[in-house]
Amino acid sequence: MNVQNDMGFSELKRLWQENARQLAASLRLNAMLMQRANLGKVETTLGRLARAIAFELVLILAGIVLVGWFGAHNPQPKFLVPAAMIDLYAVAMVVANARQLAVLKSIDYDEPVVAIQQRVEALKLLRIRTTLGALLFGPLMWLPFFIVGVRLLFGGDVYAAAGPEWLIANALFGLAVIPMAILLARIAAPRLHRSGALRRLADDVAGRSLASALHDLAALRRFADH
Amino acid sequence: MSANGVQAEFLDALDRHRGILVKVGNSYSRTPADRDDLIQEIIAQLWRSFPRYDGRAKLSTWMYRIALNVAITFYRSESRRARSVELRDPAKVEEFDTPVETAGNEALEMVLERVNQLDALNRAVMILYLDDRTYAEIAEIIGISETNVATKIGRIKQRLQSDIGAQQRK
Repeated sequence: MNVQNDMGFSELKRLWQENARQLAASLRLNAMLMQRANLGKVETTLGRLARAIAFELVLILAGIVLVGWFGAHNPQPKFLVPAAMIDLYAVAMVVANARQLAVLKSIDYDEPVVAIQQRVEALKLLRIRTTLGALLFGPLMWLPFFIVGVRLLFGGDVYAAAGPEWLIANALFGLAVIPMAILLARIAAPRLHRSGALRRLADDVAGRSLASALHDLAALRRFADH
Repeated sequence: MSANGVQAEFLDALDRHRGILVKVGNSYSRTPADRDDLIQEIIAQLWRSFPRYDGRAKLSTWMYRIALNVAITFYRSESRRARSVELRDPAKVEEFDTPVETAGNEALEMVLERVNQLDALNRAVMILYLDDRTYAEIAEIIGISETNVATKIGRIKQRLQSDIGAQQRK
């Protein structure tokens, strides 16, 4: 076969189709297996993702209700302020998750490839940004969570027990953790060969996932334009 | 139509066009296990979408759209994972190579190895071209203009010719 001319490509097409026909013969078995299985129970990756996002959404909404109840029973500003911070954080997460669900709903795989892949990449970007936001704000939020949690679970008062110096030192520590976490993730991500979830988390924090998704989205736009 | 009737109709359509599953599955997976996972995922998505198939597009066009969308999504996520594991500098390599099964045909293997080194979208264009789809059909499946399809196929053919020419001169 010589692909130096169009005759060569016609021969290539013929060989390729012949090869595919031979390989397709082995797929009969899979079709038979599918026939036996209950197709109604088959779940897609997007279906699983939608369920996971909806589950997160329900958990966060339950958290908002709980913090609302906490605020109503602890009206002093020293408890209301951290509770309001948690609520703001949770509302931001609700908005992010609802946006993800909306994009997910708009993905219909029987539409043209470029349009769907752009939506899939947009969804990935949203997921990465949500994870990044949650992780980077996490160290700042741990103190309000701690104050509200101790009050909610044990009826204690962290302000009285620990004093203002301890609270300020912990807030500053939370701030310092953010650049340290980014640095650690950059060093650790390439070494985390065994754990897929940990590696993805490290890539998210280090900004690698974001850079990769932006690169893919730009490539898709270039493909559609030229 | 009863649920059993729909299922029978779906399995019949799947059987008539199982070549599409093989072509797409082989072109976007690293290992036979990956390929089986990918084909199962394509079948699951086809089954989910089947009740919405209204016959406006040819069944093969509709199946190609779904199969390619599932495969490219699958491939990009696997590719990212591979990049993350194997490379310190992710900018250096864009895609991983996909092995080819050609039943011992060396010439076909040589060409397909190069096709499988194309990025996910150009590879989709080439799969459809090799499957003898018209430019109008390719444009409908991929979602770009026919002119764009012709340009891309021209570029890919040129690249293949020059790569293979260079290899044959060695």
